[in-house]
Amino acid sequence: MVLRFENVVKRYGAVRALDGLSFALERNQIVALLGPNGAGKTTALEIALGLRSPDAGSVTLFGGSPRTLAARRRLGVTPQESGFPDMLAVEEIVAFVCRHYPSPAAEAQTLEAFGLRDLRKRRAGTLSGGEARRLALALSFAGNPELIVLDEPSAGLDVQARRRLWEFVRDTGPQRSVLFTTHYLEEAQALASRILVIDRGRLLFDGTSQQLRERVGGRRLTYDGENGHVVVTAGDTDVYVRELVASGAVFTNLEITKPSLEEAFLSLTGGAP
Amino acid sequence: MSALGLVRAHVKVQFLDLLRWPGYVVPTVVFPAMFYVLFDLPFARTRAQAADATALAFIAFAIVGVTLYQFGVGIAQERGRPWERYLRTLPAGAGVRFCSRIVTAVLFGLLTAAVVAAVARALTPIDLGLVQWLGVLLFSIAGGVPFVLIGISIGYWTSARAAVPIATACNLLLAYAGGLWMPPRYLPEFVARISPYLPTRMFADLLWSVTGSGRAPAALAGLALYALIFAAVATIGYRRDERKRYA
Repeated sequence: MVLRFENVVKRYGAVRALDGLSFALERNQIVALLGPNGAGKTTALEIALGLRSPDAGSVTLFGGSPRTLAARRRLGVTPQESGFPDMLAVEEIVAFVCRHYPSPAAEAQTLEAFGLRDLRKRRAGTLSGGEARRLALALSFAGNPELIVLDEPSAGLDVQARRRLWEFVRDTGPQRSVLFTTHYLEEAQALASRILVIDRGRLLFDGTSQQLRERVGGRRLTYDGENGHVVVTAGDTDVYVRELVASGAVFTNLEITKPSLEEAFLSLTGGAP
Repeated sequence: MSALGLVRAHVKVQFLDLLRWPGYVVPTVVFPAMFYVLFDLPFARTRAQAADATALAFIAFAIVGVTLYQFGVGIAQERGRPWERYLRTLPAGAGVRFCSRIVTAVLFGLLTAAVVAAVARALTPIDLGLVQWLGVLLFSIAGGVPFVLIGISIGYWTSARAAVPIATACNLLLAYAGGLWMPPRYLPEFVARISPYLPTRMFADLLWSVTGSGRAPAALAGLALYALIFAAVATIGYRRDERKRYA
């Protein structure tokens, strides 16, 4: 077991950021944590990383408290990109982080994977937003940890860097677990083998992206009829089509689609992703 | 990775980050020596005894400036930053983070003091033997401890904005009243009366003792007491910040 939340409650004053959140992360899983703003994603991550402690319930990271050194040696995290020591070179920061771990990844490989090889001598204070973001991501992988926690990994990345990150996560995924939050459903679908949806501090859904879409149920059926474009959501589209044909009505461009992940998400949380 | 190795890695990072800021290094490392040249050099050049006393007082001033002022302000400004938050997620304990800060402060203090010593050696008839210089080095480290703890206290009890004026006031008032800028006998009577109870004066007494003043035991005891008090103040401040930020 990599990470386990059991009935975790966290309050900030009168606000219940987490309200009995439970889930468990197994080895070698890539899991996306989805939820609208204010759902409790960041609080959940902070508690998983030992930056905050829960008011009630229990959290174990590799079987122990997230605040123990033994647990943190198996954990990789991204710093917020604005915060590097300005005067240190990229390679010095990577080397510094590597020194904390028992069997870190080769520094050259880490730099290469995040497109930092040519930037390795650059001072952190002179990096652009995207470059700093890549360095932050590289640091979570630098120690070669068993669990990587990424908060909004592709925020601030250009398309190329995002694709590269996805590739990297997928390539190294089988050897480790990754837990990430995201606002991009496309990202969750592309990367995660499992999706957790939380809202108001509670777990609403736990399953694959396929299951998330199916949970909403039904199919969407569109066609151009005599009176214009028609959109129908039907529980059983086969019956609907048979009846439509039998009725002798004229129609063109018939399409049947599953609801998108985005629609599934919206119906689950009743809000924007 | 051993805790000691980690302390070294953290010190290296902090030291390089500071050393590469000319805006930090120049005022920190050069100013005490500059003050020394501007204010006390004419006096220090007269006799070896005066040269010894003023150089040692300015060595104390250099160390107090770095440990109390720079270090206190540094903590106050950095404790809320994302990098500090990130460091907490790395497998290094609070002990490593604390020790490395203290080592960095002491190293910078010694570097600053070394500039004062070099100026004194070059421009005054200062007359200290190798054994005495070794004593100065040892006493500089030991005497610096309470000021490191005062610095940590300021760092955890003041906001990033308030830290600079508060640390400046502490640094300058303690330096003046402790007799680091001018021999204590020239201080106004009221100041001269409280001077012996100030940690800066005890630090100066400790360093002056290498020339045979015999005040080392009393000075060490006084500094130890200050160290104990501010260790408690710093610990409470640290815990309070922990509760606020990472509860």
